[in-house]
Amino acid sequence: MRIFEETIRLARTWSREIGVAATIVLLYAVLFFGGRTYFSAENFGDLFLANLPVLIVSLGMLLIILTGQIDISVGSQFAVCSVIAGVAAKAGMPVALAGLAACAAGALFGAIGGGLVAFLRIPSIVVTLAMMIALRDGLRWSTQGAWIENLPPGFQWLSLTQSRFTTAMAVLAVALVAATAAGLRYLKAGRAVLATGSSEAAARITGIRTDRVVFSVFALTGALTGLAAALNAMRFHQIPSNAGLGLEMKVIAAVVVGGAAITGGSGTVIGAVLGVILLGSVGTALTFLGVSAYWEQAIQGAIILAAVAINLAGRRRE
Amino acid sequence: MNSLLKLRIPAAARLPVTLPLSGSERWLLGALFAEIVFFSAAAREFFGWTNFFEVLRFSVELGLLSVALTPILITGGIDLSVGSTVGLTAVAMGAAWRDFHGSIAAAVALALLVGCACGAVNGLFIGGLRLPPLIVTLGTYTLYRGIAEGITHGAVSYTGFPARFLFLGQGYLWRAIPAQLPILVMFAIGYWVLLHRSVIGRGLYAIGLNEPGARYAGIPIRRHLVLLYLLSGFVSGLAGIILVAHLGLAKPDLGTGYELEAITAIVLGGTSVFGGRGTLFGSLLGLFFLTILQGGMHLLALPSELTGVLTGLLLLVIVSLDQIGAASRLRQFFGARPGRFAATRAATAAAFVLVLLTAAGYALMSHSRRSGGALASTGTISAGRRYVIAVMPKAKGDPYFKSAGAGAEEAARELGVDLIWDGPTNLDPSQQNEIVENWITMRVDAIVAAVANSGSMSTVLRKARQHGIPVLTWDSDATPDARDFFLNQATPEGIAATLTDEAERLMPRGGQFAIITGPLSAENQNEWIQCVRNELARRHSRLTLATVRPSDDDRDKAFLETQTILKMLPNVKLVMDLSAPAVPGSAEAVAQSGRTDVDVIGTSLPSICRPYIHAGTVPSIVLWNVHDLGYLTVYAGWLDAQHRIAPGSTSIEAGRLGRLEVRGTEVVLGKPMVIDKTNIDRLNF
Repeated sequence: MRIFEETIRLARTWSREIGVAATIVLLYAVLFFGGRTYFSAENFGDLFLANLPVLIVSLGMLLIILTGQIDISVGSQFAVCSVIAGVAAKAGMPVALAGLAACAAGALFGAIGGGLVAFLRIPSIVVTLAMMIALRDGLRWSTQGAWIENLPPGFQWLSLTQSRFTTAMAVLAVALVAATAAGLRYLKAGRAVLATGSSEAAARITGIRTDRVVFSVFALTGALTGLAAALNAMRFHQIPSNAGLGLEMKVIAAVVVGGAAITGGSGTVIGAVLGVILLGSVGTALTFLGVSAYWEQAIQGAIILAAVAINLAGRRRE
Repeated sequence: MNSLLKLRIPAAARLPVTLPLSGSERWLLGALFAEIVFFSAAAREFFGWTNFFEVLRFSVELGLLSVALTPILITGGIDLSVGSTVGLTAVAMGAAWRDFHGSIAAAVALALLVGCACGAVNGLFIGGLRLPPLIVTLGTYTLYRGIAEGITHGAVSYTGFPARFLFLGQGYLWRAIPAQLPILVMFAIGYWVLLHRSVIGRGLYAIGLNEPGARYAGIPIRRHLVLLYLLSGFVSGLAGIILVAHLGLAKPDLGTGYELEAITAIVLGGTSVFGGRGTLFGSLLGLFFLTILQGGMHLLALPSELTGVLTGLLLLVIVSLDQIGAASRLRQFFGARPGRFAATRAATAAAFVLVLLTAAGYALMSHSRRSGGALASTGTISAGRRYVIAVMPKAKGDPYFKSAGAGAEEAARELGVDLIWDGPTNLDPSQQNEIVENWITMRVDAIVAAVANSGSMSTVLRKARQHGIPVLTWDSDATPDARDFFLNQATPEGIAATLTDEAERLMPRGGQFAIITGPLSAENQNEWIQCVRNELARRHSRLTLATVRPSDDDRDKAFLETQTILKMLPNVKLVMDLSAPAVPGSAEAVAQSGRTDVDVIGTSLPSICRPYIHAGTVPSIVLWNVHDLGYLTVYAGWLDAQHRIAPGSTSIEAGRLGRLEVRGTEVVLGKPMVIDKTNIDRLNF
């Protein structure tokens, strides 16, 4: 009986995450009967690498959403950071250092945005909307659409082999996810993020410098975006100048489908990761199920709505 | 102290009466005024009734969306699905009119009904089930666009609407006022009454400020929200109908990105996305500010992407100015000096505004330096004898059109003409029309356009010809009566035939192949796919087309799609990419999979395919000389501006390209080239 009650309690605490997980299980069950070739190590490896940028950025976005803010400039930052990584590598910088340069550039963009939000009190959607347009068009203006070609030979896969790179990325992803989850739960800074999002006024009264918290999560997300951009660029020989179109939508959708409240203060890392897995699986899953490309987008939309509805059913039982 | 407070508060409460505009509205009005003065001084075509009404015409669809979204933002909600609703209603209307042979009134009614249904779904989820608006409309944003793409298979675009319907989008009342303008005015007034003069409106502000409070006050929150989202769907539907009438065509990708543009206008107008603050007037001011900025920049022949940079910077400037204002309002309100914090913030904001304005100024300066003073030379358009040739690529920031642009610049230097090279920066089909309208107002000497949607562009190109401007098309054609000549680099049939030749050469024993296209609703690529299908049928080819997948012109998406095709359809031995960035994406996917039995071909640029062609993953690509094509656009535009291409002539002399054949009204550049290992290093684009 104790175990039963305990299970119920756990199910209630994690109802949102269970809702997303249930949707994923449902999708995979359909795939199991409809497109079994989906379940191969190769496919999961490819899907992992393709969705790694979304995963990395969504960790930062989760923190931003937890503080009650939003950042819609990550897609544009991603494009600029990719190009910066390429330019740095072409200028003769060691590849790892070029990756760090992209991170630093991302952190700078994040810091600018975060500074405006935190210290000048301009709403985050306005700030990041402005940055989204200005960065994207600024990049378009300076490159005119040209790609970065002739990258140094060690650029692709960071001079590792393809499979070693994938393993390294898996380790990195697990480490980042674990660090974010643990940081949110056990670190003072992590609790400050949640407190700021739950009630900024209350957080300030308890001595939390909420403006610094907000500033930091934006800068951190920028750095993560730079990292994601550099790692994504390293899968290829060339860097296009229009990378990351629509990345912000994918990331925000993953985080909110994962159960984070857009008003701040509530949401988990596990939920965000599940959200990334669900939305990252859907596209290719539909191809494997033989759905026509023309109807794919409609079904994706329906699945987002279904995930929200399942989420709601979980909440109603409480 | 107590009595002092009592005295102060009524004084503060009277504030809105003495100052009818809020802080951000005043700043915005000032900025709008400054903008108008600046553009009037810089471009003399700017200040006049014709241009004024043209600007208004382009504001109607976005204006309707902004009007409908403002109260939603005031309740603290958001509706991201409005742009997709525009696309869906447009398609519904087109289908009702053409496929089901309904009358135009029935089609309009059906479209409005579809708009209402879209709004009702949002309203049900948000108002009825109380789900977060951002995520619900993020879902329906994808859903509605997806349905529009699904029912048309991306490919259909409906045209041929009757003239009396097109009048709604293109006609003039009393020869001056755009026919759709009264609709915007009507809805703006209606919404103004609803929001600012009704009990419901007060309720909406209350919901945005404090929802639990509003519930305790007995405000029917659910009913209000359902009403708002339903209305938003209806108005989006109406905007969709007007857009169809305006462009003369209905396509599933109409209205792409409109939600963001409308939201930009609204937040610029001082509405808080957290709810409780904002006015309809502010939103309209924000919208006019943005439309005038765009139009003005085009009239000054500044590139569209610079408009984006300036929009971003000015958005921050105006919002920061509001912050400076906030400090002084605080002082009025409390009758005391602002605290150290507010003062510091105002000072920082002021410093920041200066930095931003410097940045904006620097961007403008460095542009005019880079383009050799195009900014200064626009004033002399008709005074000097330097011809102004306006050339439009289908999209800015695409490597293909960048190569063409380099060729165009070469010709402009050689001939000593002023080249305006500008085009859309996004997928919105109406942006091309808007730029051409501005070129008509500028009275350029010739327009040479790469047409993305022939249905909508033909209308505006015809208008340019009526104004006596020579019009040519390149890359892809408009309807023949909308232009003098088409610079034909290769027919769709020719491209399809060459691609099929290559495919058959690589797979002599037949088999399956897959096509990866650009966006599903790209008109050109859809035509090519159809031509490839026809070619296969005509030759009784042993090749079978296994699947068609979209890449959205994104290298990374093409990469993932190719990976999926390789795994799911192991019999596919050839991937044919019809989008320039897709070829390197597919090639990389094939290379990484280690499958040596799969080849990649397609239409792409040599520069981005070079490593893969040398490695053998891509045996060949099919293209024409893009650099020469760009050169020809300016050269032919220059000839036509001087009426030096006589109708009926069979050839023209085109500078370094030599003598080119003219077939009917088509200037033929040459056949598409097959680019492979042997000739790629001789090409410089």
